[in-house]
Amino acid sequence: MEAALTSILDDLRRAVGAGHVLDSGLDRFGYSYDSSFLPLVPARLPDLVVRPRTAGEVSAVMALAHAHGIPVTPRGAASGRTGGSVPQAGGIVLALDRMTSILEIDESNMMVTVEPGVRTMDLYEACAARGLFYPPDPASWKFCTIGGNIAENAGGMRAVKYGVTHDYVMGLQVVLADGTLLETGGKAIKNVTGYDLTSLFTGSEGTLGVITRILLRLIPMPKARGVIRILFRSMDDGCATVQRMLQEDIVPSVAEIMDEISLKAVATRRSMDLPAGSACCVLIEVDGEDAASLESQSRRIEAVAAACGSLDFRVAQSQAEADELWAVRRGLSSAVAALAPNRLGEDISVPRGAFPEVVRRIRAIAEKYALAIPVFGHAGDGNLHPSVLCDLGDPEQAGRVHQAVDEIFLAALAVGGTLSGEHGIGLTKRPYLEQALGAAGVRALRAVKSGLDPKGILNPGKIW
Amino acid sequence: MVNRNLLKEAKDLAAGCDRCGTCLTVCPLFKVQDLERVSARGKNAIARGLAEGGLEPGPEARAAVEFCLLCRACADNCPNKVPTDEAMIRVRQHFTDAAGGPTAKYVLLGGVLRSRRMVRLGSLSLGLMRRLGLLRFLPAALGVAREFPRSAFLEAFAGPAALGGQAPASAAPLGGRVAYFQGCGMRMMFPDAARSTLALLSGIAPATARDNVCCGLPHLAHGMGGTFLQLARENIALYEDADIVVTDCASCGGALKHLAGHFEADPVWKDRAAAFSAKVMDLTEYLVRAGYRSAGKRDLTFTFHDPCHLARGQGIRAQPRQLLADAGTLVEMAESDSCCGGAGTFHMDHPETAGLILDRKRRNIEQTGAQVVVTACPGCLIQLTRAAEASGGKFKAMHISQVI
Repeated sequence: MEAALTSILDDLRRAVGAGHVLDSGLDRFGYSYDSSFLPLVPARLPDLVVRPRTAGEVSAVMALAHAHGIPVTPRGAASGRTGGSVPQAGGIVLALDRMTSILEIDESNMMVTVEPGVRTMDLYEACAARGLFYPPDPASWKFCTIGGNIAENAGGMRAVKYGVTHDYVMGLQVVLADGTLLETGGKAIKNVTGYDLTSLFTGSEGTLGVITRILLRLIPMPKARGVIRILFRSMDDGCATVQRMLQEDIVPSVAEIMDEISLKAVATRRSMDLPAGSACCVLIEVDGEDAASLESQSRRIEAVAAACGSLDFRVAQSQAEADELWAVRRGLSSAVAALAPNRLGEDISVPRGAFPEVVRRIRAIAEKYALAIPVFGHAGDGNLHPSVLCDLGDPEQAGRVHQAVDEIFLAALAVGGTLSGEHGIGLTKRPYLEQALGAAGVRALRAVKSGLDPKGILNPGKIW
Repeated sequence: MVNRNLLKEAKDLAAGCDRCGTCLTVCPLFKVQDLERVSARGKNAIARGLAEGGLEPGPEARAAVEFCLLCRACADNCPNKVPTDEAMIRVRQHFTDAAGGPTAKYVLLGGVLRSRRMVRLGSLSLGLMRRLGLLRFLPAALGVAREFPRSAFLEAFAGPAALGGQAPASAAPLGGRVAYFQGCGMRMMFPDAARSTLALLSGIAPATARDNVCCGLPHLAHGMGGTFLQLARENIALYEDADIVVTDCASCGGALKHLAGHFEADPVWKDRAAAFSAKVMDLTEYLVRAGYRSAGKRDLTFTFHDPCHLARGQGIRAQPRQLLADAGTLVEMAESDSCCGGAGTFHMDHPETAGLILDRKRRNIEQTGAQVVVTACPGCLIQLTRAAEASGGKFKAMHISQVI
């Protein structure tokens, strides 16, 4: 451990309680990884893991780290996909998973105030119990934390109708790099007083401040929901269906698409039987006032799908069946990951109309480099997850893989899209940032960073 | 000799883990101690770290892999069905081999359970305590006092671990010779329940008890794989003339149903082991198949605790519920299939943690208002008896053979 850290060890223990400062080899290893494809070994070990309970404790830790120039990497549940919570520069992992209070549910203003360590699902359920709806639902919602969702500006499946995390953040309490407490935003819907700092910190990946309290807006819970699974012979047919639905003003709360390889991976895992020739699955959720509204939407969707050449159309008839259809999508990412020793999961986002085109380009890249690249994603909003399956232990393959990944990013940019829809840049997409934002864009990010964290101690090594 | 392959095997088992974090929400241990190394994700990472040279294989890592209930809640919920429990068994065996053998207390445990005489002595001394009305002190005594010879027997309630995937239901036809497999826990700790089991079985068809040895699960779980195989061979031979082998211990049942898998590469025992495993049934599985009905519905409210080795180990959830609903009123508790914290020797090795897990279980039981919590495994029954005491008489804990 660095001398600077050793000198403040006792102060840190006093600040958060000795039991909440971990320095054993095993614990340092445990907080060295996230859910990205970065290798587990060699580990990017933190020197210490500090687990504060309050904003005051976070502030004390930051003041100490700032005074001694020690890197600090905030962490929620480490379920991120781009290395955002990986302590690249060592120092302190600031684990916020003990900050789990739901502080207030303000029913009249329809807003909720929470601490960052609250799991997204627990937040959803606490609000749902009062008839209120927090829509963003990243695939990891059962175990990820809301603080991580804010830091990454997480998306999810409901974005097509309800938008992403950012669309619900009204205000934040943030501990700045030097330990100062900052409050942004508030319950006023219209608020143009100064820069929109709430938006600035949302999606800042832990590089500008540590989020210690979050104010979110809510909407009334839809009264009825239905789930539909449609199978197609091709991705083009699936994409066309979603496209036409939206043009005809049928806005589903979810429209997920998966290609043949993805579909087969999850079907094998779950021992599902699929009709012969199924090469694309679109999973749709509709919501509305009542059963009649769902019924009318599903009839219209069935007609659109049939016109686009659907192979099979199934409406869940029970909650159990709905859960079963949902499980297919929720288990997809992990099922695909299990197909090969390594999976480079990407998160490109393109204009909705360019979805079929970018899928075709990815197919061509897969063929060119002789790699399996299953594609699934959020057809309704243009955010897709190509997964390059490979064995990075094989040096010959590794070269092809990296070229393929480069070309996938180029394809996204070429059709007017971007590098990341919802996972963030972190460590894994850093090399492509300037291509996406341009030199001026990166300079602007750096200017913001150096203004708020002049010593560069907050999550160093990320984004650029 | 250190078997390097065990770490490689563990790493391969854990390789499907993409560190997503699903297991964080279901691990009973993580619920009471939320540190990464406690979670299944953390344990899989440890297995891989050890195999790939990123972690020192020291006492800290060993303690971390021992700190697992092997309850399989993680594997059951994992999108990739990563068998963390099986990976942990491999790493444990690796550490045991590297250290030249298991730690002293597990050697003692293994020795006691390997011996018919010791197991019987256990039941004698416990029987005496029962007659003297000391039974209620037993659960409290389980975790302490190693200086008294009794402690050796008590350690046996280890009931063990290592589920090894879900065993298929037995397809053995009814009507043949039925034999009872009496596990060490039932024999030493709950002889009354064991007698009820035999009475239930005899009411359906002639059933015999055998002089069986331990199922071997404690040995397997604690790095004594060789002893496990010896015991297995002895039991296989002992039941060769039976057509159906019924056990009232979920842990034994799970282990016995999985024996076949351990002999797959053994040309001499492969077929005999497969034939044996195929005729093993849990008591509730057998009773439901035989169409057993309770003599009458009692005015009693039950709630059922699913033993890990029954629900996840054997896929048996409906049968005990059907039998209980027939015998009284069944009320479901929340998290009925979450481990009670017994988990073999876990409750003795980590009494505080096991106590926290049990507190949660007790609150779930109390919330049902049931008069009796019923289970089908002596390991769980020890824990639930403790919970019943802690509840101050709000409910009793009983084996299913005693209430139907």
